[in-house]
Amino acid sequence: MAVKIDSDLCGHIENCPVQGLCIKLCEQGAIIEENGDVAIVPENCDDCDLCIQNCPNQAISKA
Amino acid sequence: MFNIERSGEEHRNLTYKDKNCVGCGICVEVCPTESLRLGPRVPIARGLIEMDLVSINENSCVFCGLCSLACPFDSLSLTVDGIDIKNIDSYPVWDVESGINDEECIYCGRCYSICPRDSILFERKLPDPADLVRGEIDIDSNQCIYCSFCAEMCPTGAIAIKNIPASSSDLVNNSIEVDVSKCVFCGICKKICPENAVREICSTCMLWDEIQPPVIRGEAIISEESCVYCSWCSEICPVDAITITKPFDGKLELIESDEKICRGDSCHACRDVCQCRAVEIVDGKSVTNLDFCNLCGACVTACPQDIRILSRTAMKLNNINSESWNEILNTLLIGK
Repeated sequence: MAVKIDSDLCGHIENCPVQGLCIKLCEQGAIIEENGDVAIVPENCDDCDLCIQNCPNQAISKA
Repeated sequence: MFNIERSGEEHRNLTYKDKNCVGCGICVEVCPTESLRLGPRVPIARGLIEMDLVSINENSCVFCGLCSLACPFDSLSLTVDGIDIKNIDSYPVWDVESGINDEECIYCGRCYSICPRDSILFERKLPDPADLVRGEIDIDSNQCIYCSFCAEMCPTGAIAIKNIPASSSDLVNNSIEVDVSKCVFCGICKKICPENAVREICSTCMLWDEIQPPVIRGEAIISEESCVYCSWCSEICPVDAITITKPFDGKLELIESDEKICRGDSCHACRDVCQCRAVEIVDGKSVTNLDFCNLCGACVTACPQDIRILSRTAMKLNNINSESWNEILNTLLIGK
């Protein structure tokens, strides 16, 4: 099912309080840095929802 | 850490010590003015963000002190004209305890090694083997099951066991030897042996009455500053010298549904925030050992699936004299 990121809310690494907290939290490699921005790799997502809960901008939700 | 104060007819001062805090959020729940906020626990626990677990809005805080009394871990203190309200008779008080009985303690140091919060101060002074009447330690090989309890507990490391088997005795491949030059004849091996296989030969000597029994001196103290009543120490203590009273009675369950499933291997937020080392991920699922859980509830709100169900049926918070405080503080009893 994976997750999706609301581009308007997302801090896009540069403006994220923790410079890509979701990338650092996800141990499945389902959220990665790509061309300086956050990208989702849906096939790696385990639906643990840790990123959804911890995003400081509430930019992540279920896809 | 924060430290805020306000002066009027009285001078009130509220301090928060992050060192004691487990991130349970009890203070946030009871605050009548919603002045306290819990920080992002999982990123903090993983070292991704450096900040206090709890922060305060100084402008809306009314310095009532309810948060400091509700906190079972003594992270918050409110003083009125310099006196901590926890020391004022009319205020509620937690009847919790963590202590080591000096008379029972054999200064083995196991509690010190196991404490997940490094809350135990430990020091041991062994007698000098040269000052002691020499004897022998005899281990009956017919009775010994090579469990290695004695070797683990021996304060001087004088016992060597080879080929510890998984079960029962295997006399061909096992050996147990005592290096008497290291032995201080404290008798811990004898005390700990489940099979009664250890004998101190000097105890059968004719002059036994005249020999002063060797004494291990030491100090083992639980620091109230950071103890969170997980009770690892009291569970591991071989002589039951430690008393821990937990703040709550109750249970914690993992209840999955079709949509909400524990993804322990990917997530493990519960394990990361647990200050009691009570949570493990077993076969991909979160397993909580209630023996070590203090029912603080930090893992419950850290769980992104919201499938951890906490119930607290009783608490050790007593002497609640105000009706309104009683109402608020009783909200800590959930699922009763």
